[in-house]
Amino acid sequence: MSNDSVSNLMKGHMESLAKEGKRADGRGINEYRKVTIETGMLNTAEGSSMVHLGKTKVLCGIKMLIGTPYGDSPGSGTMTTSTELAPLADQSFDPGPPREQSIELSRVVDRGIRESRMIDFDGLCIEHGAKVWMVYIDLHILDNDGNLFDCCTLAAAAALSNATIPNVQHGIADEDVKLPINCWPISCTFGKLGDSVILDATSDEEGVMTARFTVAHDENGNLRAAQKGMNGAFTDAEIREAVKTARASDSVLRDALKGIQ
Amino acid sequence: MAGQTDMELIKNGIRKDGRKPDELREIKIVAGVLDNADGSCYLEWGNNKVYAGVFGPMECHPRHKQKADRAIVQARYTMAPFSVNDRKRPGLDRRSTEISYIVSQAFEKVVMVEDFPKASIRVDMQVVEAHAGTRCAALTAASVALADAGIPMIDMIPSCASGKINDVVVLDLNKEEDNYGQADLPLAIIPSTGEVVLLQLDGHLTPDEFELAMDLATSGCMDLYKKMRDALENSYGGKK
Amino acid sequence: MSGESSVTSNRKLVLPGDLIETKSKPGKGIFRSEGRIHSSVVGYSSDKSGYINVNAITGRYNPKVGDKIIAVCAETGPSIWRMNIGSSFNSTLHHSESGWKVPFGDTARFLSIGDAIWAEVSMVDASGSHQISLKKDDCRKLYSGNIIKINPTNVPRIIGKQGSMISLIRDNTKTRIQIGQNGYIWIDGKGDDIALAQEAMETIDREATSEGLTKKIEKLLEK
Repeated sequence: MSNDSVSNLMKGHMESLAKEGKRADGRGINEYRKVTIETGMLNTAEGSSMVHLGKTKVLCGIKMLIGTPYGDSPGSGTMTTSTELAPLADQSFDPGPPREQSIELSRVVDRGIRESRMIDFDGLCIEHGAKVWMVYIDLHILDNDGNLFDCCTLAAAAALSNATIPNVQHGIADEDVKLPINCWPISCTFGKLGDSVILDATSDEEGVMTARFTVAHDENGNLRAAQKGMNGAFTDAEIREAVKTARASDSVLRDALKGIQ
Repeated sequence: MAGQTDMELIKNGIRKDGRKPDELREIKIVAGVLDNADGSCYLEWGNNKVYAGVFGPMECHPRHKQKADRAIVQARYTMAPFSVNDRKRPGLDRRSTEISYIVSQAFEKVVMVEDFPKASIRVDMQVVEAHAGTRCAALTAASVALADAGIPMIDMIPSCASGKINDVVVLDLNKEEDNYGQADLPLAIIPSTGEVVLLQLDGHLTPDEFELAMDLATSGCMDLYKKMRDALENSYGGKK
Repeated sequence: MSGESSVTSNRKLVLPGDLIETKSKPGKGIFRSEGRIHSSVVGYSSDKSGYINVNAITGRYNPKVGDKIIAVCAETGPSIWRMNIGSSFNSTLHHSESGWKVPFGDTARFLSIGDAIWAEVSMVDASGSHQISLKKDDCRKLYSGNIIKINPTNVPRIIGKQGSMISLIRDNTKTRIQIGQNGYIWIDGKGDDIALAQEAMETIDREATSEGLTKKIEKLLEK
C-alpha cells in the first residue's frame, strides 16, 4: 500500500498510544519487529545476507577486489559501503543518482562497522604499499517498511561474517580463508513521536516522527558510532535514555546474528 | 560471443551441465514477495536471481513524459554490484539502458495502456545474481509482477533465449555457453497469438539454424509460460 | 496456442489472456479479441445479470459512482481539494460539494493536508478522472480515531455475510467503524480497542482466502 499520505488522525492515534508505551502494531515502544537473517545465498558474491526486519527487506553482497592501499595507510585494506534504494522497494524511491537519504544511510552504516573495528584491515594486506584487499559492502534495499539503518547494519554484519577472501580466484594463495571478524557492531535507531521515543519505526511511524537517533554499540557495551537525523530535536535526557535502552534492546538483534554463525 | 573455440560445450548430445539441447535450466517463480510494491515477483533461473516490482498505474512523473490518451510503461533493468564476479559499479550503463528500453517497448504491446490516460506504470527489475540470460529472466519476472499488480494486459510475456554452441543449436545458454558459444538469441512472445515482442541476435546463424533457434526459443517460452501461471495460481489459491 | 483456458463456471481463477466462454455482454476486467472475450486481470469471473465481469484480486482501487470512501487531503487549491483515495490518481473535492461556505483561497481552513473525510464518489468521467462529495448522507470530516489501509478487494470479507464479520469486530471492541470501498477503514474508540479492531481487520486482509478465518478472528477478539 502506498504511504504517501499518513493522515493526521494516524499521527494523533500513534502519539497517544506511545504515551502509554504502545504502538499501532501492538509492540511496546522499545520492541523490535521480527528479525530473520539468511546468509550465503549469492554465488557471485564473496559473502551475502538477506535480512527481514518486520516487512523491511535488505539484501547485502560483499565483493573483495585487489587494489592499491591509500597513501597514509600502506599496510591496510580498504572498505567502501554503498546502498541502493531500489525503485521496487518504495514508490518514492525514484531511479537516479544517489540522493542525500541514501548517502546518509551508507555513511552511518559504514561508520558503525568501521569504528567498531569489525574488520581487521591490517590483515587484508597482500604486499605492503602495493597490494591490498578492498572490501565492498553493497546494500540493496528490496522493501522499505522503515528503519533501514538497523536493517542495513545487520545485513552488512551478517554478510561480512559469512565472507571468504577469494585467494584462489586471484592467485594469491592455495585456499580461500574466512574474512577475519573482530567484533559485532549492532545499531539501534530511535524516533521522536510526539513526546515519546520509539525504537524500530515502521514506514508509517517514520512519516509521523520528527527526529531520528541511531547509536551503534559493540558487544562489550561500548559506543562506536551515533547519528541524529531529521529536522526535529530530542531532549538531552531522551538521548541518554535511548543509549541505555539500546544496550538492553539490541540483544535480540545480536542473538539473531549469533544464530547464523 | 567468443565464436569458434576449442572449448567442448556439448558432446554426444549432452551439454557440460548435463542438459539436452532442448532443455531449460531449473526455474523457480514466486509471485507477491514484496509488501510495498503493488505487484512483485522473485525468479530463479539456473543461478540467475531476479526481483521485479511494479507500481501503478499512478500519476506520471516527470510531467513532460505524460501522454494525454494513454499510460506509459517505464521499465528499468539494473544489475546489483555483487551480481557478477567482477564487481559492477552501481547504476545504469549503456547495456542496462538498452535492455530497459526494449523491455518497456515489449510491455507497451500487452498492457492495456489506453485504460489509464496520463498515468505511468513503473516496472523495476533488479538482477541480484547473473549467470547468462538475465534479460529474459528479468522480463519474465516483470510480466508476473504486472499480473500480480492487477495491471490489465492481453497476456503475460514469457521470455527465453536459444543459441548455438559447437555448431549445435540449443535452448537457454548458461554462462559458459554464452561466453564460448557462437550465437545468442533472446526472444519474448505473446502466448495467445504467437506474436514476437522482443528479439535480439548476437553471433552467427545460417538461415536453417535461425529457424531452428526460433522454434526452440518459442517452445521454451511456452514451457516457461506454464510456470508463470502456476506461480500466480499458487499465490492466489483459486479459493473462494 | 496453449495458455487459453476456457472458463464456463464462476469461481475459477482466471489469468490475463484466458478465454471466457459466455454469451453475456462484456463488463469489467475483460477485453474482446476476434469476437471472443478474454480476462485482462488475475481474478474470478462472474457471469450475472447478462454481464460477464472479472473481479480483479489485486490492484489499486477503481472508483465507482456511489461508493462510500475515506479520503485524505493531499493538496489544497483556491477552490478545490485534491484527495488521496488510494486509486491511480487523486480525486477532486470541489468547494461546492463540501457543504461548507468556503471563501475563495480559504480552503485550507476547512480541510488541510493530512485531514480525513468520509465521502461519496460523485462522478467518474470517460478519461478516468473522478470527483467526490461531502454532501451525501452521513458524509463528514473525521476528527478522531485512526485510519488503516487494506486491499480493496478484501472489503467484502471484512464486512462478512450480511455484515456478520464487521458486527463481530464492532461488538467485541466497542468501536465505531466505517469501511470505505477503497480499502481505507476508520476506527474510533479507546486506544487499546482501536488496536484490537485493527489487528482483526489486518489479519483478515492477510488471510482472506484461508479456511477457518472466522474462528480465528473470534479467538483473537476474546482477548
